[in-house]
Amino acid sequence: MNQWEVFVNDVKELAEDTELELTIRTLNPGIHKYTYKRVRAQVSADLKKHADQLQVRLGRGQLSQGRFSIKVLGEVQRMPAKYL
Amino acid sequence: MAAPRSNREFVEACIKSGDAVRIKQEVDWENEAGAIVRRACELAAPAPFMEKIKDYPGFSYFGAPLSTYRRMAISMGMDPASSLPEIGREYVKRTNGEVVPPVLVDRKDAPCKENILKGADVDLCRLPVPLVHDGDGGRYVGTWHAVVTKHPVRGDVNWGMYRQMMFDSRTMSGAVFPFSDLGKALNDYYLPRGESCPFATAIGLSPLAAMAACAPSPIPEPELTGMLAGEPVRLVKCETNDLEVPADAEIILEGEICPDYKVEEGPFGEYTGYRTSPRDFRVTFRVNCITYRNNATMTISNMGVPQDEGQLLRSFSLGLELEKLLKSQGIPVTGVYMHPRSTHHMMIVGVKPTYSGVAQQIGQLAFGSKLGPWFHMVMVVDDQTDIYNWDEVYHAFCTRCHPANGIHIYKNSPGTPLYPFATPHERKFSIGSKVVFDCLWPTDWDKINDVPTLVSFKHVYPQDIQDKVLANWTAYGYPPVK
Ligand SMILES: Cc1cc2nc3c(=O)[nH]c(=O)nc-3n(C[C@H](O)[C@H](O)[C@H](O)COP(=O)(O)O)c2cc1C
Repeated sequence: MNQWEVFVNDVKELAEDTELELTIRTLNPGIHKYTYKRVRAQVSADLKKHADQLQVRLGRGQLSQGRFSIKVLGEVQRMPAKYL
Repeated sequence: MAAPRSNREFVEACIKSGDAVRIKQEVDWENEAGAIVRRACELAAPAPFMEKIKDYPGFSYFGAPLSTYRRMAISMGMDPASSLPEIGREYVKRTNGEVVPPVLVDRKDAPCKENILKGADVDLCRLPVPLVHDGDGGRYVGTWHAVVTKHPVRGDVNWGMYRQMMFDSRTMSGAVFPFSDLGKALNDYYLPRGESCPFATAIGLSPLAAMAACAPSPIPEPELTGMLAGEPVRLVKCETNDLEVPADAEIILEGEICPDYKVEEGPFGEYTGYRTSPRDFRVTFRVNCITYRNNATMTISNMGVPQDEGQLLRSFSLGLELEKLLKSQGIPVTGVYMHPRSTHHMMIVGVKPTYSGVAQQIGQLAFGSKLGPWFHMVMVVDDQTDIYNWDEVYHAFCTRCHPANGIHIYKNSPGTPLYPFATPHERKFSIGSKVVFDCLWPTDWDKINDVPTLVSFKHVYPQDIQDKVLANWTAYGYPPVK
């Protein structure tokens, strides 16, 4: 199980069971904790629906009560290839 | 006492004078180190030198480097007990003196080249990048550092302290405001042409190099560092671009600013004492090479409520640079002070009120200068008011500032996204508003009959009576006054 975190202005941005594009950061322990990825994902308020867990922070860093399970469908590469 | 030439010499000097403590037990890079620095700032306690960091053997942290006037004095090679006006006079003397250009040294004489990571080895997570405040948008690589760039046409070098968040192992995102030197170079040149801008970030600088990087002085920062230190700063060529960086810095990141790619940055604890500026897509830095000293020390400034470097040092240098500006225009100012508690939002100016409108002239000059976006209140008092004594300034404000005639408001001026009172729209577009509080008696009032007389011990009693009362104070039965 992986743990992720996302920043949103409003929890409503996390529509359930549709494919979303999100910038999420890993909360897994280790030196890469808090590094980000851009992903396609599905989320659900049912914490058992997907294997990974998603924690939510609001605009100024406040931890939201809302918790989700998340399935990462794939990584989105936003960065132009010349920088890779 | 010579000014410390490196962060290491500075840490040693601070430990020796009791202005830093060695923390030997292991400290977590996630929140704990930040919390220690924050508390040290709020207590004006000695700076923490944290020798053992979880997950990062061989690295250390030095926090709150210049968040007290004592450490500022040490950084200038002065007696730690020097008063603020003494440190200020020394800063003005040195920065008005001969320009001291930097010297270029060979790679083998540059400690910052002791370890070099290139290609697939480049990973910012190999450095102990701290999570400074819980809930920050990321781990911040640059909180007390200099971003080094060179103007593409003029060729002048800029060192600026612009915060940098680690986005992933090779990418950082930073808050480079549009009115800053780097912001202007990016917007004028690189972004419209779609060209990437070479940069280097130097972390763990000598305290005077760091002071120069966040000083709003027109003198290029390498020269300014030399003037402050009284000797040239040692620079060395980067590995992967043409820039030159301080050879004694602890850590160097080299790379390019991407003109066509932005990632999210923030939120982050800011100098105003809040997280104000929204998470947004900001300037993106791609890192191509990391070099660092053996046993490198990462420096941390933890911004929040007063007082940290964001208030203390910036109030100091902003105030003094504004004083220089006003004096260069022949304004009869007697001093400028920004109280750190105002988070450098209020400029207090003492002036000899010899002509009418001088308060507005001061406000318009200060707000209209390059430094203007960083503050929004100018309070002008006469030369009899001690600008460093808030009780006196506050009294003058509450008694002499006419509510209808003495308050002048200017709208739609440059601001920053960091103003807590600004509307969301104003923050997004760096729009400010300004106010001048004119606490001077109008020059057209009759000095004998219209201007009230200040009733205080110092002002109403003859000198011989004052001397007698002071001499007899304890004899009257009062404890001595410190
Ligand atoms: C700890 C600290 C952090 C700072 N962070 C930022 C920042 O993120 N963005 C910014 O534009 N200025 C920041 N500043 C202020 C700049 O360093 C300062 O304006 C400096 O003079 C660089 O500006 P210039 O490029 O206009 O010369 C910071 C200052 C300090 C002391």
